[in-house]
This record gives sequence, structure tokens and C-alpha cells, in this order.
Amino acid sequence: MSLIEIKHVNKGYKLGEETVPVLKDINFTVEKGEFVAILGPSGSGKTTLMNIIGCMDVLDSGEYFLNGRAIHEMRESELTQVRNKEIGFIFQNYQLIPTYNVMQNIIMPLLMRGMIHKEAVAQCQDIVKLLGIDHRLGHRPNELSGGQKQRVSIARALASKPSILLADEPTGALDTTSGQEVLKLFCELNEMGNTIVMITHDMNVAKSAKRIVKIIDGELLAEQ
Amino acid sequence: MRMTELLRLVFMNLAQNKFKVILTSVGIVVGSATIMLVLAIGTGGKVEVAEQFKNLNAGAIDISYEVNAMEFERGMGGNRGGMSGSVGLPGGGMPSAGGMPAGDFSGGGMPDFNGGGVPGFSGDERMNQEKIVLSEDDMEDLTVFVPNISDATISYTTSSDIEGGELEEASSYSIAGVKSNYMTISNMSMAIGEFLSEENDENKEKYCVLGITAAKEIFGSVYDAYEEVIYIDSRPYVVSGVLEEMGTVASGISPDTTVFIPYSTGIKYITGDDVSPTITVIADDVDLVEQIIVDIETVLSDSYANAEFTISDAGSKMEAASKSNETLQLLLVAMAVIVFIVGGIGIMNVLFVSVKERTNEIGILKALGCSKKDILLEFLLEACFTSMLGAVLGVMVSLGITPVVESFSVRVELSVQGAVLSVVFGVITGSVFGFYPAYKASTLIPVVALNQE
Ligand SMILES: Nc1ncnc2c1ncn2[C@@H]1O[C@H](COP(=O)(O)OP(=O)(O)OP(=O)(O)O)[C@@H](O)[C@H]1O
Ligand SMILES: [Mg+2]
Repeated sequence: MSLIEIKHVNKGYKLGEETVPVLKDINFTVEKGEFVAILGPSGSGKTTLMNIIGCMDVLDSGEYFLNGRAIHEMRESELTQVRNKEIGFIFQNYQLIPTYNVMQNIIMPLLMRGMIHKEAVAQCQDIVKLLGIDHRLGHRPNELSGGQKQRVSIARALASKPSILLADEPTGALDTTSGQEVLKLFCELNEMGNTIVMITHDMNVAKSAKRIVKIIDGELLAEQ
Repeated sequence: MRMTELLRLVFMNLAQNKFKVILTSVGIVVGSATIMLVLAIGTGGKVEVAEQFKNLNAGAIDISYEVNAMEFERGMGGNRGGMSGSVGLPGGGMPSAGGMPAGDFSGGGMPDFNGGGVPGFSGDERMNQEKIVLSEDDMEDLTVFVPNISDATISYTTSSDIEGGELEEASSYSIAGVKSNYMTISNMSMAIGEFLSEENDENKEKYCVLGITAAKEIFGSVYDAYEEVIYIDSRPYVVSGVLEEMGTVASGISPDTTVFIPYSTGIKYITGDDVSPTITVIADDVDLVEQIIVDIETVLSDSYANAEFTISDAGSKMEAASKSNETLQLLLVAMAVIVFIVGGIGIMNVLFVSVKERTNEIGILKALGCSKKDILLEFLLEACFTSMLGAVLGVMVSLGITPVVESFSVRVELSVQGAVLSVVFGVITGSVFGFYPAYKASTLIPVVALNQE
């Protein structure tokens, strides 16, 4: 059984009377332990697809199975559970909560599971060390650099030990050096057994992944 | 999420958004302070009415004969008929000066009210030709023939010049001619000495009892007045006692400034026949008042066929006064509700904007898998604490404003219930208006919440 199985998925946005199709008959699978890059130009529907994989958006038609469970049939309350337990989402623009400090941001997914503060902090010690942000835990997001923010958002995604890491343009807002560091980190995480799906419009970035899937105008191209 | 963790988040947010918390609170502060003051002023009005009537016996019925309009024109031509009135009971007895319409009752800014004046008999020409003076015999008749009466008294008021004590020149005081049972019937008590006795009245002795203000004006103090002598119309009267302070009463007659003398003594030396006494009877039971009024009319019509008496009962006066006070309170409450709705809209705006700003945060929480219940609870608790802060501040502000309001001689009765109520109101308003936008945001799917600017 594949970790992710997407079959004939369509998704469009309503513009007045008409529906503009964004994703057209997408078929896509990801196996456990893979590191996949979705490569495509701006406006091709990468983020839309990623939001659907991350259970943050609803699809118009088609089927989506995650770990064998039919996501397309779930209610919002069930999707909330799935997001919390199965998915580690790394946003293009970090999406950290500005009023919380670094540690509080990282442990949020664990607190939502009913864990107490102390336990959650203890569980995240290894992750913050791995990401090299252990000396920034008391800072608030606006006191961090872009690369540091991205590390915090990666740490938050890892904290809940998800089945899959989803990263939307993880290097998009970073300079080349910090971008390279993040990609190196992804390779390490993948070697440690994490399944990763990454979006990018940059071929050089995509090369870090073990498999590249191209998307143009909402259609996935056959893989080379 | 665990409650302890949720509370930690709530306090983190409040501490981080101090300015917004204060801004939101201001609306609640105003609203709660208004509620508190409105309640306090409303209660103040109620207490005032209660105080005005505290000496009034609910079962008291006043009977007086009013000089009618035609007679009034005649009466004004020199004689003192227009001046003399009836003292009745404090608060109950109306200053029934000659030409006043029967039963007209006005006090404390309250709407005029017909004090149960019962037009008994159709007037005809004859009535205008004789002057009717209620007498002690009439009172006897009533006590004998009207059932369910526990007590009866007769009294009148006039005014006269008084000299003596520390007064440098003669000054005019209102004089009440009363029976010895007047004190108990009017719920008065003595500060010093004794009230007028039956012998004083029977023997037409020149004794008097002073209201406390009168005593202080004439003698400087209550103790200096006791057993001293004052001169009413140049005749000496021994002060046999001074009354306790009674406070002002609705119709403007205050026992505090009145000089009480024995009924017969006053008739003999001061008024002569020129009086319009009031008979006051006390009903055994307030519920019987209506029947008693009918019986009184029947008994009086035996003695005075065709005469028209004014009969007013204290119960309906109290009822009217408290009714108009209730109207006032209703008005105040309506005002408070309007303030709260307007304030609520303001609060809603602030909260709406602040939650809108935090829609992104709600989106993040949802994306990380925070349940709708937890999100709502977090925002509800935040709104709750914010409005609680505002409400408590509001109560404190109203405490600060109270002396200012009181300086406009408005009676303010602060109460714990009022404070609790206004805090509850504030918290509910703040919570509801703070909760709604959060509720709206929490129902969005994560992508929509995250993409909202
Ligand atoms: N909320 C929306 N409402 C309407 N149209 C939308 C919405 N979101 C995306 N679209 C449209 O869907 C198409 C795909 O958008 P999407 O964000 O998936 O592109 P993308 O591949 O992520 O682009 P980029 O690399 O610039 O982020 C675009 O043409 C966009 O205009
Ligand atoms: Mg995108």
C-alpha cells in the first residue's frame, strides 16, 4: 500500500459563474521513505495540489488515500486529526504564530494532542539540536532571520513525528547558502526514514530529491 | 488540548496584546459603569420613595372637606379660610389650601396624581351656602359606625407667629392642632419629653411639642428647648417635648419644622371656627380600605346630606408614587440597554478587527490540527478575561463617578448586586461579541483562513 494515493483528482476555483480548473485529473502516488519534488512554473497549481495532499483544502472530484484511509470522504473534524497526527506541513512563508516564542511554536502540535508543556518540550530537545536552533528557543519569530524561521517551521513539522513532511517552496524565501542548508537537512531527514514531498519552481532545488514530478497548467507530466 | 495549556496560551496572548486588550476593555468599562450607575440611581429613587413614605401608615384614610371654587373666591376676601389646611399624616396629609383641586397630589417631581378623591355626592346650590367643618363628633360617629377601624384622629394645620428662645424677632411656623394619639398614628417618636396628653387637650392647656428642626431653630438645641416656653400669637406655651427627626415628606410638609399643639387649645386661641380639620382613620386591614371609604361616605351623609368630602387613602398614594418610580426605573434600564447595545457594537467592532487580524493565527492553528473546540475555547477565554477586566474597571470607574453624580443631588444607592450584575453584563457582552468573529473564523477551512488578509 502506498503512503499517498491520489486518483483522478480535479480542483477548480469559482470565478463568478465559471469554474476555472486548476488541477486536472491528477494521478499521483508516494511510497513510504520517498523524497519527491514537484516541479512547475508559477501558477501551475503546485500549492493547490500541496494543500490537498496536506488535507487543508477539499477536492472537487477524485479520490485521495493517505495510509489507506479515504481522505476525500472525511469531515473537517476528522481531517483536523489527520493533519495533527500524519502531516508535517512546512509553509512557504513559515506561518509561525508571532506572539509565541520559538519553543512554544514548535510544541503546539503536541499540545493539541493533549500533551503537557513539560513532556512536549522534552520530546523536542533532539529536534531543536538537530536543526541548530537550541540557542534561540526564547525568541519570538520577528527576532529571527528567514533561515532560522524556516528551521523553526521545519522543527514544528517534525515535532509531531508525522508520516509525511510536506514542504511548499522551502527555499523560496532564502538565500542560496541557507537554501542549500535546508536541502541538506531534507536529505538527512530522508535518510533517517522521513517521507518528504517538496514543491519548487527551481530545477536545481528539485535535483536534491530522489524523484521529480513535473506539473504544468494543472497537469502532471509523465515521469522520466 | 489540556485546560492548563489552553490557559497558558490565553495569558500569553493577553500579555502580548496589552494595547488591544485595553482598547477592547474601554468599551466594556463604559458599559459596565453605566449599568452600575443606572442601577444605583434607580435604587436610589426607590429608596427615596420608600423613605418619603416610611412614616405613612398604609391603612390610613384622610377625610377632609374642601372649600369649592365658588366659595374660594369668596373665601379669599380676607378671612383665613384659604390658609388653614389639614395636616393629616406626614406624607399623607395634603396641604389642602382653599382652592386646590381636591386630591391633587404632587411631590418629589412625580406626576400629579389623583389621591383617591372620591366625589361622593352631586353638589347643588345649597352646598355653597354653608361652610362645613368636620368636628370631633364626626370622628366619634365614624369610630362608632364604621366597622374595621382601629383608630381615628382629627387634626388641622395653620400658621402663626412664634417668639421666644433665641429668636430675635417673631417668625412664622406651621402649627398643627392634634390629638394625643396623633404621634402613634403617624409613627413618630420623641427625642425628648412627652407628646401632648389627653388632659392637655381636654383642658385646652397651652403645651406644645416641637419638630426637631423647629426646636433647633428656636432654641439652638433639643435639650435647650425642653420645658422652655415659646410664644404663639403672644401666648406662652410650655414645650413638653421634641420629636425625633422624621425627614422630609412627599407633600412638602415636614413634621420637623412644625409646632404641635393640643387640638382644642388651637381652636380656642388661634383658629377659632376658621379651620378645615382632617379626620384620619386607620383601617384594620389594608384590603378593607375600599369598603371603609364607602362606609365613611354613608355615615357622613347622615350628618351632611349633599356635602362633598375628599377621602384619600395612603395606600393608593404609595402605589402611585412607586408606580411612577417604576416608570423612571424602566426608563433608566432602557437607557442602560441602549448604552450596552451601542457599547456592544463598539466592542464588537474592536474584537472583530482584532480577530480578523488573527484569522491567520486561527488558520495556522487549524493547519496544525487544532480542534475547533479548542480554538473557540481559547478565543472565548480571551474575550472573557478581557471583558472581565473591563467590567471590573467599569465598576471602579462608577464608584469614582458616584460623588460627582451625588453632587447634582441625585440619590445614588450602590449595591453589591448592582456591581455583580454589571460585571456579568460586561462579561457576557464582551464574550458574545468576542466569540462570534472567532466562531466565524474557526469554521473556515485552513487554506481559506490562511489566505485571508
Ligand atoms: N483562492 C483562489 N481563488 C481563485 N483562484 C486561485 C486561488 N488560489 C489559486 N488560484 C489560482 O489557481 C492557480 C494555481 O495556483 P497555485 O497557488 O496552486 O500556483 P503555484 O503553482 O503554487 O504558483 P506559485 O509558484 O506562484 O506559488 C493560479 O492560476 C491561481 O490564480
Ligand atoms: Mg505556490
